[in-house]
Amino acid sequence: MNQRTHGSWVIFLSFFVAYLLAIVPFPEWAMNYRPQWIAMVLIYWAMALPYRVGIGFAWVAGLLMDILEGSLLGLNALALAIIAYIALSLHQRLRMFSSLQQSGVVLALIGLHLMMTHWMKIAAEQAVASNLLFLLGALSSAFIWPWMFVLLRQMRRSFGVR
Amino acid sequence: MSLEYRVAAFVVLSVAVMFADSRFDYLDRLRYSLGFLTAPVYWVADTPARISYWIDDVFVSHGDLIDENERLREELLFAQRELQLLAGLATENNRLRALQEASANVDGRVLTAEIINISSSTGSRRVLINRGATDGVLEGQALLDAHGLMGQVVEVLPFTSWVMLITDSRHGTPVQVNRNGERAIARGSRGEVPELELEYVPDTSDIEVGDLLVSSGLGQRFPKDYPVAEVTSVVHDRGQPFATIKAKPLAQMDRTRHVMLLALASNELERSGQSGIAPVWVDNALSKGDKRLGIEEQIDELGAEPLEEVVNPAPETLGVDEPVPSETGDTVPEDPAAGQE
Repeated sequence: MNQRTHGSWVIFLSFFVAYLLAIVPFPEWAMNYRPQWIAMVLIYWAMALPYRVGIGFAWVAGLLMDILEGSLLGLNALALAIIAYIALSLHQRLRMFSSLQQSGVVLALIGLHLMMTHWMKIAAEQAVASNLLFLLGALSSAFIWPWMFVLLRQMRRSFGVR
Repeated sequence: MSLEYRVAAFVVLSVAVMFADSRFDYLDRLRYSLGFLTAPVYWVADTPARISYWIDDVFVSHGDLIDENERLREELLFAQRELQLLAGLATENNRLRALQEASANVDGRVLTAEIINISSSTGSRRVLINRGATDGVLEGQALLDAHGLMGQVVEVLPFTSWVMLITDSRHGTPVQVNRNGERAIARGSRGEVPELELEYVPDTSDIEVGDLLVSSGLGQRFPKDYPVAEVTSVVHDRGQPFATIKAKPLAQMDRTRHVMLLALASNELERSGQSGIAPVWVDNALSKGDKRLGIEEQIDELGAEPLEEVVNPAPETLGVDEPVPSETGDTVPEDPAAGQE
């Protein structure tokens, strides 16, 4: 057992940093451009270590995000669980993709995530229906993805996370 | 395949949790406990701001300090002079109110707080403050800055609390025009600009650009007579039954960091006192509570709902704030220095 899991702290640290980045205040005009850090980190780990970071992990991560955001409990949890499911079922193909193709998948996944949370917030009356500018967050996430991928892969390799 | 079953299970679980969280309060305890887990994230995220404030405090020249000290002392002198007048006026006011059998103004005790984060979701305008249940914060308390009313506490976590700003589109603030006492409800605008819109104001009402709006105390959430906003535009459209009136909040919503939390009015305390949270710093208001219990019961009988997120005063509660006989005719507000923590 000890042989199989190694370097869990790297995963937890990456999520901690993602939470920090997620709640750092942005100026008003840049609000729509915020990358979805938690979802991106989750996609990476689901792709790289599918036996470590699964749907349950994603769900708990989403629950913490709900507390941090002060949104309805279970809202981000549901969205992240679905994202994790898609990433897990695609993980072998994702590994083969070039970074541009990966960015495309990230764009679609984050877009889906943003759309789902937006709908649920409207349904729960936590937000009012607005224009679709918030989807720009998916674009910025896809733009940042290649760098984040390289950084996280480097961390995973040098600390031997299994 | 097992992956599908697991995702289906978690989707069902999420929906159940969401439903339970929105309809019942079983999950408040879970929310509160998870708040302990998330506290360090806020603490670390706030570190840069704290360090920059610390640097501002430490690396400041002696001369600047002397200048600032002098300026502050001058301001204090002016403020104290006005306070002296105010104490006299307050006594006189309370005595007159006692004659009219109106309620004595609840003198608010305050707790200073700092805004440590703002809501990241675009649909709502909320801020996070660095005071929580351990400091005795209760849901429904009003938040002020040096210029005016900012919002009210909507969720209390162990060390932090979420405050919904008055500019949130789901928030309504009962206000009145300071000049003539005309009442209205100021709702947060739905647009991009953080401002207030006065709802259902008849075209004939006497509200002009530049009027100061103060909190009316109706709805029993916000204390009376705190400045809220200044009217910026009044449009009379003959095709519309109501005038379109916009106002700019006086509180510096997006610039200030230092804010004040106001103690609940005593009737609110009655309600929250039953939930078992012992407030540490609002004890003096409790003594006035027993007289108000009657009003509470009356409201319950009338079937007025407890005002949750949107504090539009229900029509039944409109007149309730006024006719309460005061026990002490001449309550002098406390020394402001003693009221602060």
